[in-house]
Amino acid sequence: MAEKEYDVLIVGSGASGGMAAYSLTQKGLKCLLLEAGALVDFQRQRGLKPVYELPYRGFGKPGRLPHVVQANEFNANQWVDEQQVPYTHDPKSPYNWVRVRMVGGKSLFWARMSYRLSDYEFKAKDHDGFGDNWPISYAELAPFYDRVDPIFRVSGRKEGLPQLPDSQFIEDKSPDGAALERIGTAGKSRGMTVTKIRRSLGDGQFASSFNLLLPAAQATGNLTIVPNAVVREITTDKATGKANGVSFVDRQSGRELHAKAKVVVLGASCLESTRILLNSKIANSSGVLGHYLHDQFYISNGVMGVMPEAKDGKAPRGLVAGAGYIPRFRNLKDPKTKAKNFLRGYACDLYPGATPDAKLFPAWGAELQKQLDTFRGAGIGTTIMGEVLPRFENFVKLDPTVKDAWGISVLNFQCRYTDNEFNMAKDAVDTISQVFKDAGFEVLNANDKMHPPGYSIHELGTCRMGDNPKNSVLNKWNQSHDVKNLFVMDGSSFVTSGTQNPTLTILALAMRASEYLAEQAGKGAL
Amino acid sequence: MKRRKFIQTLAVTPAAALPIVSESNAETPVVAQRPQEEAPKLETASLDAAGETMPRFFSAAQLAALKKLSNIILPPLNSMPGALDAGAPEFLDFLIGKSTAERRQIYTAGLNTLNAQATKRFGKAFADVTDAQAAELLAPLKQPWTYEPPADPFARFLREAKQDIRNATINSREYVTAGSSGGRRGGGVGQYWYPID
Repeated sequence: MAEKEYDVLIVGSGASGGMAAYSLTQKGLKCLLLEAGALVDFQRQRGLKPVYELPYRGFGKPGRLPHVVQANEFNANQWVDEQQVPYTHDPKSPYNWVRVRMVGGKSLFWARMSYRLSDYEFKAKDHDGFGDNWPISYAELAPFYDRVDPIFRVSGRKEGLPQLPDSQFIEDKSPDGAALERIGTAGKSRGMTVTKIRRSLGDGQFASSFNLLLPAAQATGNLTIVPNAVVREITTDKATGKANGVSFVDRQSGRELHAKAKVVVLGASCLESTRILLNSKIANSSGVLGHYLHDQFYISNGVMGVMPEAKDGKAPRGLVAGAGYIPRFRNLKDPKTKAKNFLRGYACDLYPGATPDAKLFPAWGAELQKQLDTFRGAGIGTTIMGEVLPRFENFVKLDPTVKDAWGISVLNFQCRYTDNEFNMAKDAVDTISQVFKDAGFEVLNANDKMHPPGYSIHELGTCRMGDNPKNSVLNKWNQSHDVKNLFVMDGSSFVTSGTQNPTLTILALAMRASEYLAEQAGKGAL
Repeated sequence: MKRRKFIQTLAVTPAAALPIVSESNAETPVVAQRPQEEAPKLETASLDAAGETMPRFFSAAQLAALKKLSNIILPPLNSMPGALDAGAPEFLDFLIGKSTAERRQIYTAGLNTLNAQATKRFGKAFADVTDAQAAELLAPLKQPWTYEPPADPFARFLREAKQDIRNATINSREYVTAGSSGGRRGGGVGQYWYPID
């Protein structure tokens, strides 16, 4: 049977691959989308179970997913099997690579936190001299954010903050609660603000490419989705050097296949797209492919606050409402926000009404139970999210000694945090602890030790964009400097991370790049 | 309540008890014809309703210490079953036996230390010390929690054991059935992902 040649072949079906399919098919391009995982029937694939019916009583099978802190025995089967698709790292420098392979990708499970980047990120070098600027500004991406917001139905409240541009919100009119207002008041002298959580409401149980992008793309009649297709490498025309398709493996049988296309788009997630490029031995004339790996460090409950008046179930009416968010407030233009010993900044989620974990109480038996009863619902949980500096020294490369279940070389990670991150973490915990105290709250526990790199599932930067082909993989349109008909549209294109969750920006970048691709294809320029 | 009695009270009664048929009117029961595509639905009970976990990993002395420790960490409180009612020590014998060598070592060394310290200070095994004596031995649990595990292996064991004993109890059939409420962490019902083909 003759191979059909598609206009565009898209690898990956999550946020970036889904948005590429959504945008390109609407422009009339015939697209083939290859997804490494299955098309899941959620009615059949999931079911309610009591924890005691699980074989390991909720602990999970020992050693099954050692790097996925988010895994538990209920959801263990939704993550990529670390034995089937392994990766390597120095035992002293762990990396938590958390992966999902199914149609919809990680967009099926993300926390839906939807924040825009600002020129504090896009023009970070202009601001503090470190690293590189993005080749685009906020103004260039804003029109695409504006079009992504209504698709994902982003809720929030307009705040007018330069470091956290507002979205086209479905307005969140719920009250803040007195606890958050007190934190905002106590932190004001430091330039701190407490905002609403900004979140994609989506449609029904998902805010995913699975329900918001792929159905619309398929309705055009221009999209073919093929699940269970594990891409091995991009193939190129030896005469022109251009991509002409991909070779891939049937996930279930191991059968090798090849698909042809005029243009290839990678949207397989930051590190899987990088792995495909490294295995393809293309798009790396700069030598930076795989480098500048960064993310956001996370500290779960770095500060556990306590509302004294809420102990013993006596929270006054109006003290606790919803969750809140402290956007970055360090190292902004205002001189009083300057930090002594680190660049950039951190953000923090706030969860008033939390119950502190039993591990935080130095007690056992009846005494511990008494403490738990006293503090139930009286806590203020936090998640601290710090910007990690992109450094050439943090990178992934192919491990020549290890292959996955389909014989594809795996990644080796060389990544560690540095003093900038450690100093930032300490400042975050000290500052938020003090603000809690200034607001009249207690601090039950403070911890400035972050999870290992990768925990946030916000890996970024390994195919970064830039104007200079000597120090970047992609141009400002997410297009390979080396291979003109190759685009990489996921988080690997980021130059800096900011503190904001990256999905909204990935979606906006993928929409922008796809429309450029369609325009260039129409001109015959690819 | 003893665990065996607990299990007996929880044993699932078949929805439709078998009819008692006297010898005089015994007949071959008539089963209604089912549509060909419809499979019969049989009721089943869980493994724990049928038997108790047989410890295989810890020595008798280690298991006795773990049972004592479990009853101290989470005794029956507020009408809820405690760790012994929930079979937490026996379950942890199974779980730790399946775990990494490092985790097995933490537990076996920790339980041995509990017994050695009890013998040295009070002249008896940990299983036989009084609550006041046990509290002296468990002093490392009075230290504030830190993200990094304690450097002292015994303190690390106690911290892990405290968390494991609580989880093994709260997630047990006995605890959930006795009225634990709500969410997954409380030992309730969760959305389970079946293996993907």
